Amino acid sequence: MITNFDKLCTELEKQELEAPTGVASPSTYAQLLAIYLYQNDLCNAKFLWKRIPQNITSSNTELAAIWAIGQKLWKKDLAGMYHAISAYSWSEPEVANIVRALEEKVRERAFNLIGRSYSSISLDTVVSMTGLSREAVLHACRDRKWVIKDDGVTVNPVPPTQPAPLHTSSEDQLFKLTDFVSFLEN
Amino acid sequence: MASPLEQFVNNVRTMSASGNFRELCEIIGKSDEVLQRNSAHLNTVLETLDIQQHSLGVLAVLVAKFSLPQGSLSDNDKSNMFQQIHDFINNCNGEQVRFAPDLYADLCHLLTDHLVEIKQPIRGIEILKKSIRKIQLFDSQLTSIHADLCQLSLLSKCMKPALEFLDTDVTGISSELGGNNDSKHFLLYYYYGGMIYTAMKNYDRALYFFEVVVTVPAMVVSHIMLEAYKKYILVSFILHGKILPMPKYVSQVVCRFLKPLSVAYHELATSQHAAIKHRETFVRDKNMGLVNQVLSSMYKKNIQRLTKTFLTLSLSDVASRVQLSGPAQAETYILNMIEEGEIYAMINQKDGMVVFLDSPEKYASPETLCVLEQQMAACTKLHQYIQEMDEQIQVNPQYVKKSVGSHDEDMPATSQNSKTTYTM
Repeated sequence: MITNFDKLCTELEKQELEAPTGVASPSTYAQLLAIYLYQNDLCNAKFLWKRIPQNITSSNTELAAIWAIGQKLWKKDLAGMYHAISAYSWSEPEVANIVRALEEKVRERAFNLIGRSYSSISLDTVVSMTGLSREAVLHACRDRKWVIKDDGVTVNPVPPTQPAPLHTSSEDQLFKLTDFVSFLEN
Repeated sequence: MASPLEQFVNNVRTMSASGNFRELCEIIGKSDEVLQRNSAHLNTVLETLDIQQHSLGVLAVLVAKFSLPQGSLSDNDKSNMFQQIHDFINNCNGEQVRFAPDLYADLCHLLTDHLVEIKQPIRGIEILKKSIRKIQLFDSQLTSIHADLCQLSLLSKCMKPALEFLDTDVTGISSELGGNNDSKHFLLYYYYGGMIYTAMKNYDRALYFFEVVVTVPAMVVSHIMLEAYKKYILVSFILHGKILPMPKYVSQVVCRFLKPLSVAYHELATSQHAAIKHRETFVRDKNMGLVNQVLSSMYKKNIQRLTKTFLTLSLSDVASRVQLSGPAQAETYILNMIEEGEIYAMINQKDGMVVFLDSPEKYASPETLCVLEQQMAACTKLHQYIQEMDEQIQVNPQYVKKSVGSHDEDMPATSQNSKTTYTM
């Protein structure tokens, strides 16, 4: 289930702009809003929510549920966000897809953030930041080789390894260098 | 004998056919009045002209038709206005309309005003984007339609489409905007652009846009400048925690008039209670949201300052030093700041301590090299632009005349001076 959300996003944006009366269909709005959240583009999500006509936002529970997630993300209330996701039963397959991906992504980001910013953290905080059960967290910690202290409630995270640096071909580098030198010489 | 209106149609037809567009433009410029007077027949005229072949003629008629006072337009015309302009922009001949960029821009302004009035700004975004692309000679050329696009984006709260234009640095200005023309649209473009960037929380770029507005050479202060200056102060607070000094090339009037008119904003720097004291002013200027952001960014600035003094600090100490309510809140702030990359720190939840680290950046990675290369390329490009502009100015007749002329005046003046010294 790998869908190209970026491409879908451009299509939906176009649909909205080309809507004959300036108002798109609720399902367009719902998908677009969810994708903005997935891309962590909270500003655009907020303004999208604000520009959707009120009669749609008040009648469509799904949209309201998506924005409830957005609000929690805006406030960086991760625990509240997982709660908001599970509070609504996602029936539309397209939206459900995106929301599931969003949840995964936020969780991944949370793990990374914990790794980067804590030298020791209580298990409960990890549970609330990732929205997983205790067992799942323990499992994930083991996967990441995070040390769980003997008391069973303190975790010592390890910073995530940086992704391998991108290699540029030496030919490319040489080309840039030539450009630069020729600029300096002239 | 043919009526003036018929003559106009004939002129349009024959000159369009022979490709005499420059001359046609002149005639159109003069036939303003004829068109206005015969407003009742304009629809018939439109039917006899072809959008693609007689773009200039159609353009003139459309502008004349829609700039009539709103009362005199029939309801039918009003409801068709969007569609008609839409069709024209889509189908007109780009080469032809480039001969009359001012008229073309006028048409877009009319469309913008219309959409603002009927409160459907979002419908205009796509068509204005297209119209800009059509009239531009190159991508980084600024036209007066840019301001319209930004205005519609702001009003419709749909700002993403405008970003592709805002992100392109301007290297040229279209003729209807430059020269001796009104600077309103230029100022508006940068003011609206700054607002869009502020809304997108791209404060760096927003600050630059507001700075451009304030540094436009001016003899009198425009309202747009004043509002931009207020926002410049606020954004500068959010970004740097203080008011950045204005560049030296700011016009005199700016220093003289803008500062006294925005006292409330300057007070934010010195007093913590300014936000409450001047609340009314901020609300009236519709800047209260930004002021609130300034206040919350102050906490962040204070935490950043702590990292310069301390290596380790307990969370409760952090809370008391930056006046937060407790260690939990301090932890949230620090966590958010680490995520944003604003500080480098490690929190030890067990002991309630935070260790401030140095930036892990060693400036030796391939990424740094990549950034450096991009910056160098940008500088090279800038140098190129400056050189091109310099060459253009050197061959500008006005400039040559002036520089030679002043040289001549200088000569006798110096000789006179030397004479006086002799006599002394």
